[in-house]
Amino acid sequence: MTEAIRLDRVTLWRRTQEEFSYDLKRTILNLLEGQYHQPIRKQILHEVSLTIAQGERLGLIGANGAGKSTLLKVICGILSPTSGTLRVRGSITPLIELGVGFDPENSVLNNIIYYGVFLGFKRREMQVRAAEILDFAELQDYAWVPLKGLSSGMKARLGFAIATQVEPEILILDEVMAVGDENFRRKSQKRLEEFWQRRHTTILTVSHNLDSIRDTCQQVIWLDRGKVRFVGDSKEAITQYLDESRHQFDQTNHATDRPSD
Amino acid sequence: MVSRTLLESFSTESGRYVELVHVLAERALVARYRGSILGVYWSVLSPVMMSVIYTGIFGTAFLQYYNNSYWHYALAVFTGMVTFNFFSGATSQALTSVVHNGGLLNKVKLPMSVFPVAIIVANCFQLVVGTLPLLAILTLWQTQNPLLVLALLLPLLAMVGVCLGMGLLVSGLYVFFRDLPYFYEIMVAVLSIATPLFYPPEIIPPRFGVILSLNPLAVIIQVVRGIVLEGVVAWDLMGTALMAGGLLLLLGLVMFQSWRSHYMDLL
Repeated sequence: MTEAIRLDRVTLWRRTQEEFSYDLKRTILNLLEGQYHQPIRKQILHEVSLTIAQGERLGLIGANGAGKSTLLKVICGILSPTSGTLRVRGSITPLIELGVGFDPENSVLNNIIYYGVFLGFKRREMQVRAAEILDFAELQDYAWVPLKGLSSGMKARLGFAIATQVEPEILILDEVMAVGDENFRRKSQKRLEEFWQRRHTTILTVSHNLDSIRDTCQQVIWLDRGKVRFVGDSKEAITQYLDESRHQFDQTNHATDRPSD
Repeated sequence: MVSRTLLESFSTESGRYVELVHVLAERALVARYRGSILGVYWSVLSPVMMSVIYTGIFGTAFLQYYNNSYWHYALAVFTGMVTFNFFSGATSQALTSVVHNGGLLNKVKLPMSVFPVAIIVANCFQLVVGTLPLLAILTLWQTQNPLLVLALLLPLLAMVGVCLGMGLLVSGLYVFFRDLPYFYEIMVAVLSIATPLFYPPEIIPPRFGVILSLNPLAVIIQVVRGIVLEGVVAWDLMGTALMAGGLLLLLGLVMFQSWRSHYMDLL
């Protein structure tokens, strides 16, 4: 069994949201008044350790703000851990929705090429593969249409087609599978299945759709406020997670019910 | 396996950087000149009109500094304007580039400096297609010496260094200070007066002469004017200009990299 991803006591501190938009004017005035202060930091991930084997399908679950997307960003190398180590073997392809960083006025074909280059492929390579991508996304007639002319479902199909056409070694799916019509969903499930069986692609999924996680992942990691609560069999993890959230829901409901009694 | 060769063939980081800059510069140009490449020549229209107006208003007053020739004065204004506009346009567009691509940076790992660099490259393309041929024609017209057209590339190289350095600096600072465009606009306006664009540098009182020697744009413009108008290459100024370009580029790179660890928390 080869390791694809290994995290060893990864801890991440980030600046807090309140510090997000300060301006030059205020900073200079504060400095003049002698009230400069260090930016406030918050711990987002607490000593997360995990090992993902090559060819594994792993689900990531947890409440909003538990740090799921942040953990994915650390794995992708977008954020570097404050402490701890990260080892990744193989190329990572995140499946991102077409929207951010794309030019809605530009043609679908050009956007495919740009997207591919962002993911780390050559322009020429993408020009060759563009036809297959359009084919899979069933958008052959749309190559020269501006991207804004596509419906959101079409864009989702295109995003999936590109990210999987480049044959990733590690594929990251962050809440994106819920789009597209039934036909396309089946088609994309089939393609993922194929990747996983033939190429031993490691697939990491973040989703709130627990049923699909249970169906597609063998292992699940449950993140709770930046800490790993549970790693292991997906059924077990989901059962525990559901119990916990039901419990919390009951508690908060009691808490809010009481004053009205 | 196809994927292996595909990935291995593209494992070099520098190759990836060049591809990214290429694609981003192309994207910026396509967005700007949608439909018509002739749009590049609009960027020449404004300095031509400004030169005509300045010649009408100040031409007579400054005539003695320009061999008593309105044509020389107009040429001096034009060369100054196009060089300065390149600087102000390229750096102002670079300023917002990192923040504008924050969404993308949160999804894919990319070397962040590609964004300002690609904007400067797109502006260089515009310069080479739009302004440079005009400057070359003017140089040939004035001096009948094709070698001087080549010499013209050196001050422009210095200019690219200045713009890259400044672009990296302001795009990095904009991540922290979102009101920076406002201040930068003021700075560019001040700089446009502190640079002898429409007046002869000779009229500046000696005690303010330091403004000229500390302003890399003034030095670069003086070199360009020497070549286009007089057919003389001022090698000492050229050295200063290239050095200033190199230093600013270095400063920009060092600062951009040193702030880099904070960017992702603020985008």
